[in-house]
Amino acid sequence: MKKSGFALIPVMLWLSLFLVVPMLIVVGISFMQRDTDGNLIYTFSLDAYKIFFDSLYLGIYWDTIVLSVATTVICLLLSYPLAYYIARSGPRRQTWGLALITIPFWINFLIRTYAWVLLLRTQGVVNSLFMNLGWISEPMQMLYTKGAVLLGMVYTFIPFMVLPIYVAIEQMDRRLLEAASDLGASPWRSFWHITLPQTKSGITTGAVLVYVSTTGMFVVTDILGGAKSSMISNIIQTQFLGARNWPFGAALSVIFVITSFILIALFNKAMTSRYETVKEGRV
Amino acid sequence: MRTRRSPWLGLHSLLMIIFIYVPILFIILFSFNDSRLSAEWRGFTLDWYVSLFDNDHVMDALENSLIVAVISTLAATLLGTLAAIAVRKVTRRLKLSMNGLMYLPIVIPDIIMGLSLLVLFRLLGVETGKTTIIIAHITFSMSYVYVVVSSRLAGMGKQLEEAAQDLGASPWQTFRHVTLPQITPGIISGALIAFTMSLDDFMVSFFVSGPSSTTLPIYIYGQVKRGISPEINALCTILILVSVTLIFLAQYMLNRGKGQKKQKMLPF
Amino acid sequence: MNKKLKLVTLLLTAMLVVLSLSGCGSKKETLNIYSWADNFDPQVLKDFEDKYNVKINYDNFANNEDLLAKIKAGGGGYDLIQPSDYMVATMIKENLLAPLNMANIPNFANLTETLKNPPFDPGNKYSIAYMSGVTGIAYNKKYVTEPITSWADLWNPKYKGKVLLLDDNREVIGMSLKKNGWSNSSTDETQIKTAVDDLKKLLPSVLAFDTDTIKQKMIQEEGWIGTMWSGDASFVAKENKDIAYVVPKEGGTIFADNYAIPKDSKNQELAEKFINYMMDPKVSAKNYESIGYSDPNTKAMEFHSEAYRNDKMINLSEGEMKLTEWLKDVGDTLQVYDRYWTELKSGRE
Repeated sequence: MKKSGFALIPVMLWLSLFLVVPMLIVVGISFMQRDTDGNLIYTFSLDAYKIFFDSLYLGIYWDTIVLSVATTVICLLLSYPLAYYIARSGPRRQTWGLALITIPFWINFLIRTYAWVLLLRTQGVVNSLFMNLGWISEPMQMLYTKGAVLLGMVYTFIPFMVLPIYVAIEQMDRRLLEAASDLGASPWRSFWHITLPQTKSGITTGAVLVYVSTTGMFVVTDILGGAKSSMISNIIQTQFLGARNWPFGAALSVIFVITSFILIALFNKAMTSRYETVKEGRV
Repeated sequence: MRTRRSPWLGLHSLLMIIFIYVPILFIILFSFNDSRLSAEWRGFTLDWYVSLFDNDHVMDALENSLIVAVISTLAATLLGTLAAIAVRKVTRRLKLSMNGLMYLPIVIPDIIMGLSLLVLFRLLGVETGKTTIIIAHITFSMSYVYVVVSSRLAGMGKQLEEAAQDLGASPWQTFRHVTLPQITPGIISGALIAFTMSLDDFMVSFFVSGPSSTTLPIYIYGQVKRGISPEINALCTILILVSVTLIFLAQYMLNRGKGQKKQKMLPF
Repeated sequence: MNKKLKLVTLLLTAMLVVLSLSGCGSKKETLNIYSWADNFDPQVLKDFEDKYNVKINYDNFANNEDLLAKIKAGGGGYDLIQPSDYMVATMIKENLLAPLNMANIPNFANLTETLKNPPFDPGNKYSIAYMSGVTGIAYNKKYVTEPITSWADLWNPKYKGKVLLLDDNREVIGMSLKKNGWSNSSTDETQIKTAVDDLKKLLPSVLAFDTDTIKQKMIQEEGWIGTMWSGDASFVAKENKDIAYVVPKEGGTIFADNYAIPKDSKNQELAEKFINYMMDPKVSAKNYESIGYSDPNTKAMEFHSEAYRNDKMINLSEGEMKLTEWLKDVGDTLQVYDRYWTELKSGRE
């Protein structure tokens, strides 16, 4: 079986050419300088990194992290029961469940997000419905608020959470649950001590996918939030486009990638140690 | 062997499906709306469906998007799965760096991926077009497949495979009859995410595209300024209908073959 | 589980079959145009294709910055692009444009004098204006009953939560600079700071920053008053009869989208032929009538419809045009603008 390590070679070659080399270019740019027109000057400099340590950019990064964590937690709470339901259905229902969750997301993201605008605006469907029902007398301002942004994010990334958790639950050893229930464990207890630990790989994967994707998704803040707040990825994009400061944009990306990796590693570690003991007892 | 599920679970799932589909229903509804700006309901029409098929720009963009999504999903699923399986057999250090590499495309901002790839293609003297879009999409899609399949493999353990080998199965037999069936849901989920990501990608595609390789998202982003035409709603409606029909047909065909040879489902 | 794999295979095969049934190309001379969406009358493009037996590839970008980043990184293979005024200046500076051969564009003589020899491209060496407009104030007469004459009217507390601003740092900070009586392209940091402080006071009134769909927000009466380009205002007024448009007394920012040819174009002559064709009076009238922007062709007016000629938002008065100012390249001060803009939008310091 040692031979199968060779299967990594094509993948490694692919990634070296199309991922490592471009990333090295970016890292290179982050150490360069720019002239007043935004052209790159090929001298080594740490200027671009120095700009980041400014309460403005640190603050924006903090806002981004808070929003992403909130999105991830809500996605997890909403998606886990759904994934559980699908994974515990018969095979045909499983297929339909997965299809039902995924197909809407084949519709272009912008179209989906603008559909939310139609629903949430002051003369929109939700307001008209609530007013006709007599629940409210004045239309609510739901669009262009932080709540709308959060809703849009959660909506966008639900499949990223459902699919990995589904994969984990589908794989679970159900005999353990039966054994637990034979031994008189309450459903809640067996969920907490058996189901959750056994599906943590799915939770971890889903959480990482949702967290990371949210940090990068600023179009939602622009459309549903009225562009009234900034996310770090927004700033990165502006540096490459409007502000024409490529070194700063590249430096921001490098910092962003490194901190994301640290956060992912910490989260992974926390998830592993939390359930280590339980998992040991499994075999 | 179905465990009992609480009715609350069913209710929650139903509400979630409604949550997911409410905006979709509006997209469908407005594909029949007799107004270019789709602000409010102005009466029923099928005009957008007629003009959709006359709109060469949309049809070309759709074709490009589907070609890119199908090819990149197939390739990414193959490479990502291969990597996820192979990485279990290598040293810890190699495994860690592989994990890092595979998380990279998910973590880096789209614009960095798009711009840096464009710079690379220029350096290599490659003309940008559909091929370069496919290469870029394979690169980021592969990661999603790898991550999902890896998490499935992590939950699987190695006992079954070791048992098969102890009983004299060849590496291929072990893979084909033990590993693969176990990780198939992971592969499918990974492929679904990859397909979705490819179909929806704007930023990366924007930079690595060339003349006449406009994908649907690039086309739609360009349209925003003048107001997205309800033709796009019509197109989305058709896409959903086709997807659902295909799944229905496939299910039907699979069920017909059921009961004959239950185990002979894979083509090899 | 194997079932699902087969299902996916089936789905993919079906798609591949559908795909393989389409697609076959011809070997005609091709003009690759890279521009804003729906920026030409499709019939006019088709006429050009037929007349010269060529094929036009028309791809879209969504904003000037995307265009610059892509062309700068070497992307494209395009023969004709349509950058806005300040972007033409930037692209000339970065050596990305090819000089035009005016011998191939005799119809250049038809262009209105106001758009000839613009400050961003003196002598029209690299660009020719395609359409222009002015940023002013659009407002809904149903909700805004006071007369609107000044940029300062946006700060009226009555419109709290209903003000729309373009999502563009130069436009918005430029507007606030104008309100204070300064140039929209000021490079004086204290002036910029004062302008931004004013904007911070306006912020609680702002419903949203939006460039692309600000029209919809006005038509659907989500916003009552806001900064808007004249061409967009004309479009909005056709959809909602209550919308009015005014160029404030302090003056507005004038802008133009232009024809330009990237340096690495392989078809420069064809691109010039196209520009010349588009500037033919009859073609011009047909084109602008369809897209609804102001026609800069002096000889085309007689071919336009009555309604088009009477549209006050398309054809701005000379008085309004006199008050306008181009956005100029501010060099490194752009970093100051960007930082203040980030502060403004993130609500942090």
